[in-house]
Amino acid sequence: MEPLYGVLDMLVLRSLLFGPLHGYAIAKSLRDGSVDVINIEFGSLYPALKRLELKGWIASKWETSAHKRRAKVYRLTPAGRKKLNSERSEWAGFVSAVARIMNPSSE
Amino acid sequence: MSMFFRRLLLLLPWRRRAIDQDMRDELRSLADMAEPGELGNLTLAAEDARAQLGWVPLEQTAQDLRYAVRTLVRAPGFTLAAVLSLAIGIGANTALFSLIDAVMWKQLPIDDPEHLLTLEQRTATGAAGGFTYPQYEIFRDSRSGLDLAAYGYARVDVSIDGVDEPAADAHLVTGRYFPLLGLHAAAGRLLDESDDRAVMGHPVTVLSYPYWQRRFGGDRSVIGRTMTITGQSFTIVGVAPPEFFGVEVGVSPSLYLPVMMQPALLPANGSLLQNPNVLSTWLQLIGRLQPGATVPQAQARLDSLAGTAAEWRVRDKFTRQFADVRLVIASAAAGLSDLRRQFSRPLFVLLGVAGLVLLIACANVGHLLVARAATRRSEFALRLALGASRARVMRQVLVEGLVLALSGAAAGALLAYWAAPALVAYASAGQEPVILNLSPDVRVLGFTAVVAIAAGLLFGSAPAIRAARADRSTGVRLELGTGGRARGDRGPGRLLVVAQVALSTVLLVGAGQFARTLQNLYRHENSVDIDRVIAVKLQPRGSGRRTAASAPSFDRTYRELLTRVDTLPGVASASLARSSPLGPSTLGFLITPPAGGGPVKLASTIVYPRYFATVGIPIVKGRDFGGDDLRAGAPRVVLVNEAFVREVLKGSEPLGTGHGVTVAPLGVRFQSQGAADVPEPLNIIGVVKDSRFPGLRESPPPMVYQTFLQANTGSGQMVLHVRASGDVTAIVRSLSDLVRAIDRDAPLPSVHTLADEVNAALVRERLVATLAGIFGLVAIALIAVGLYGLMAFTVSRRTSEIGIRVALGATRSSVRWLIARHALGIVAAGLAIGIPAAWIAGRLTSRQLASLLYDVTSTDPAMMVVSAAVLLVVAACASLLPVQRAVRIDPVMALRRE
Repeated sequence: MEPLYGVLDMLVLRSLLFGPLHGYAIAKSLRDGSVDVINIEFGSLYPALKRLELKGWIASKWETSAHKRRAKVYRLTPAGRKKLNSERSEWAGFVSAVARIMNPSSE
Repeated sequence: MSMFFRRLLLLLPWRRRAIDQDMRDELRSLADMAEPGELGNLTLAAEDARAQLGWVPLEQTAQDLRYAVRTLVRAPGFTLAAVLSLAIGIGANTALFSLIDAVMWKQLPIDDPEHLLTLEQRTATGAAGGFTYPQYEIFRDSRSGLDLAAYGYARVDVSIDGVDEPAADAHLVTGRYFPLLGLHAAAGRLLDESDDRAVMGHPVTVLSYPYWQRRFGGDRSVIGRTMTITGQSFTIVGVAPPEFFGVEVGVSPSLYLPVMMQPALLPANGSLLQNPNVLSTWLQLIGRLQPGATVPQAQARLDSLAGTAAEWRVRDKFTRQFADVRLVIASAAAGLSDLRRQFSRPLFVLLGVAGLVLLIACANVGHLLVARAATRRSEFALRLALGASRARVMRQVLVEGLVLALSGAAAGALLAYWAAPALVAYASAGQEPVILNLSPDVRVLGFTAVVAIAAGLLFGSAPAIRAARADRSTGVRLELGTGGRARGDRGPGRLLVVAQVALSTVLLVGAGQFARTLQNLYRHENSVDIDRVIAVKLQPRGSGRRTAASAPSFDRTYRELLTRVDTLPGVASASLARSSPLGPSTLGFLITPPAGGGPVKLASTIVYPRYFATVGIPIVKGRDFGGDDLRAGAPRVVLVNEAFVREVLKGSEPLGTGHGVTVAPLGVRFQSQGAADVPEPLNIIGVVKDSRFPGLRESPPPMVYQTFLQANTGSGQMVLHVRASGDVTAIVRSLSDLVRAIDRDAPLPSVHTLADEVNAALVRERLVATLAGIFGLVAIALIAVGLYGLMAFTVSRRTSEIGIRVALGATRSSVRWLIARHALGIVAAGLAIGIPAAWIAGRLTSRQLASLLYDVTSTDPAMMVVSAAVLLVVAACASLLPVQRAVRIDPVMALRRE
């Protein structure tokens, strides 16, 4: 299942909440976290990274890892953090609205 | 930083390359980490990422551009024809627009130009005038809230270190002039209030920057040196700033001098500062509002001065009434300009004509593009079949059009850069040079760009739509096979040529009217040999103020001069007149008709004997003035023209005094003969033909010719007229020497022939007629090319059809007729639209054009017939070659090719 439009951005931002990651690590964390329910192709993830970077929500830097591997690492910017928070509350509102429609009796 | 700017920065090619490289590195490093194939298609990911950065449309446009340039370069003949057509069209428009810009809109290079004002006296008829010095003083001291300065024009003789220089244009300025304009000297200082205190007390001058560069090579040490101006020594105190050319558009004085030095600089008029002459309104006024003042307040204050002790209005010499003039305060942000009044309308008319030329050029290029598109149908069909979107194919054709248009615009701008000054030079031929600031500004560049883009879209749209219509499935098969013979593609090409013919009809009718106007103005009766009549303005010292005491001495000077001129070899006859025949008559003559009633004011002029023979006006009855009539105290006699006999005497016998018309007594001083307060019979000794010189639009009014001593005038200046028996140039030199002898201090006399004067008077008409004529020729050439192209294309497409017809027995003449009919049909359709369009255009513009036409109406049917005939001839010539080719088609060859 492909994520809803805009949700991908939120998921990427979320994956960077606890520290900088490189592209492959982001892909892995999204795949692991979703337990294969949501299938995010790298082909969609990578353009999203570039888009978020252009919007100034994430920033990137080349770093050399412990294994002497060079990789481009992305981190959240303050603007990105703010964006993540607003997305998160919007998402929560959306989910509860959908839930109310799907299970009207659960109130 | 907003997204937009970040995207914009990404457009920089080196940044794009760096980011591309960075993405490649990153993807490679990621691929190293992941399992093979785990990340999918990385090239596609990079492509999509690039799309996120907004590059795709840009890259496609760049591709389109590269491709357009490549295809255009591969068809040099087509490209050259198209770019040349556009260059002429756009160049003509840009040149005219930059002239209009310079004359109408460019602001003066001064401090705060928006708030510079000018003060004018306007008569009821709208004619604007300057002021006398006392009028300026009244306004300056009126506490109107206006800070005023004045300047007047003078042409002065210059000599430096005892060597005579060419005469220079000067502005005589008041002390507030430069401070008011807010200018700062390029070197030394400018004139200020300290140079405006005592009459004849400030022999200092400021050089204009161009004059300083031209004459002194920009040498700073000239400050403090002296130069002799009109016989008086002046110290150079400074140089005006480089961009400043005075406040009048089209005039560029070399020297700025204190107005207080006027008596020395304009010696013919005496001191206009202390003894003003009401006729010498030689000063122009500029001003700014003082803080807190408003224009209506200032206007009201100045208006209230009329009728007070500080009355500024001039009294009419004859009626003693105050002249009916109003003061007008207007903006002078773009400078004062006589040029603007004279040329704004012709320039806009010409811009309209140039617009037509551009439309015709666009039609031509569009037509060429359509023809090309037809041969490229298979290419478009293939591209569509391979998955290109219609928008993409259309865009590519449009980009090609824009590339053409922009190349045309660049070439056109170059053309305009050369043509605009050439036009100015042409318009000012034989007159004072007109100096205009023609450097392209934002307005001109913007105009050119808009015109070019509009042109590109205009002629690019037809082929673009056709390209997108190319059929994707059947197209490839058909078009690749037979090289293009679909039926529908005759339409737009033919329509464009029809449109061209229609536009040219309108243009040719217009151009014809201007040419006829010029012809009509040149074809007056007195146009014989006017290139052999020389006119020289004489202004001996003091002649600006003629008095009863000084008149006889001027008369003596003039008669002696005439005697000497008569003895010069090569002179057929010589005489003097108050003004040249084309000049305005400023002299009035009051008569009382026999029927009674009030006195009537007629136009009059002063002439010496043999004037009529010299300028070529025949005496139809009676005699010329003779030596006896020039004596002091001789009985008053006059000559009149035929209009006088017709309108004043109603055809009764003119000679003698029997007609009963009397000279009305003058309420003012009569300088040469004392007061003439009793009505005196008008003694007419001769009648001359109405003088109809080329260039004059009105038929001559009733006119009275008087002798110098008997005329009532405050001015003693005359114009020497000399008819040369042979070549004019041979006697000009000796003539100037004789004239110089009258007054050594007067500026070098300007010597010109009446033909020069006519040309100068008709400069507007010549400019309009010449340019419209050139545009007409260009239009004809464009049409010939367009029609030839269309016919050649038609013949080559119908080769097999013609082959079959010939094989089936069609004669040569029927083949010829087949093709000719096609061409004629197109021209006929064009004319059917063009002639009514020309008529409508003529009706709509008749009011605007009225002042530019003479003896021609803007809907002249003859002109339409001529234009139609011209276009038919052009069409016949243009289709000659294609028709010949059609006739020579060999049926066997034609069918085999199929």
